Amino acid sequence: MQTDLREMKTSGLMKMHDLDESDLVMVRKYGTIISPKLEEYAVLFYEWIAELPEYQVLFSNPEVMGRARSEQINYWRSFFNARVDDNYVQERRKIGEVHARVGLSLPSYFAAMNVSFIIFTKKLYDGGLYSEEYSSAISALTKLMHFDITIVVETYSRLINERISKQSKALMEMSTPVTQIWQDILMLPVVGIIDSKRAQDIMMTILSRIGETRAKVFIMDISGVAVVDSAVANHLFKITKSTGLMGCVSLISGISPAIAQTIVNLGINVDEVNSTATLRDALEQAFKIIGRTVT
Amino acid sequence: MDANLDSPSERFDINNEDDVRGAVMLSYSEIMSRFNDAGLATQIATCISELAMNIVKYAQYGELYIHYQSNYSIEIIAEDRGPGIANIEQAMQDHFSSKGTLGLGLPGVKRMVDEFEIQSQINHGTRIRVKKWINQY
Repeated sequence: MQTDLREMKTSGLMKMHDLDESDLVMVRKYGTIISPKLEEYAVLFYEWIAELPEYQVLFSNPEVMGRARSEQINYWRSFFNARVDDNYVQERRKIGEVHARVGLSLPSYFAAMNVSFIIFTKKLYDGGLYSEEYSSAISALTKLMHFDITIVVETYSRLINERISKQSKALMEMSTPVTQIWQDILMLPVVGIIDSKRAQDIMMTILSRIGETRAKVFIMDISGVAVVDSAVANHLFKITKSTGLMGCVSLISGISPAIAQTIVNLGINVDEVNSTATLRDALEQAFKIIGRTVT
Repeated sequence: MDANLDSPSERFDINNEDDVRGAVMLSYSEIMSRFNDAGLATQIATCISELAMNIVKYAQYGELYIHYQSNYSIEIIAEDRGPGIANIEQAMQDHFSSKGTLGLGLPGVKRMVDEFEIQSQINHGTRIRVKKWINQY
């Protein structure tokens, strides 16, 4: 079973990270040392950051840099306040969103969190705690930091995945270019994968183009289609049938040896489908249907 | 890359048609880069498409595993916690579909692979394991 972090309650997330109220108390106690020194932290942190090429691109503008800096100080202030509630979680999600949007990579984010941890526990620590208290504070700090990182990374990777699937969708939607290649002949090359949404798009586009152009033949070239399974075959049948109802014959060209073999293995009945191996054969047939000879 | 050839298995969450498309495309290109055999890639990708679409159609979500076993065989496991198959014998017949589709998915997959195993329990889910042996010439 997959666990969807978005659906987890704050208490569940805390349990997942072995965080309890006593940890938060320790974080706050440690915070009394750190909070007055956050400006000092920012100086040290930005000294480190200046070395990274990625940051130089992101923070080329001093205004952007200033805003990021003050947001970062606010972030650590809220971290050391350690009031972990829905609002706290929401703020971390927001950070993940911003990182995904500006393209700040996860490795840089991890490295930055690690450097912050080192600044807090080595450079800014004044030795004001007993050693037992210090070690439980460090453990609490680590857990809360990991808690934050989990939320940021989950949001970040989800958004990036969404973006990828949006891109591939956009690409597919752009690729139903039905063209009239001759009087009465329409053609559509299909590349990639046919799913039900795309089959529906193809059907709508081709039927309306038949209505506009009164085409008599429609050639669909599927040489760029990797897979024809039973669902795709079903879509192809439907497209063929519906164009037939509008008085337009559908020819399917570009059946590769691999696809021909799988269609037979699947046991799909292809009697109703007019298909050819090459686009050239389909074109010849199309000319025959419209009563033209081309030499 | 050689190191990549040993990667034993891949897992895909299947929640919708987009996920099916992703699994099909990735496995197709993976098989092409391993074996450079369009016929094999098409067959395996078609099996994956059929099994994953069944998950979306009947169980809404589930998981798909692909194991590449030292380049001698490819194993696909499709698992869901959906309603289960009431009558497996019927589901394995050509042109039987409880959803108005062609009804060639499962029997078609069986014809394309060398091992086919199906376990299903009403209201608990379905697990289908298939294996294709690779002919190395």
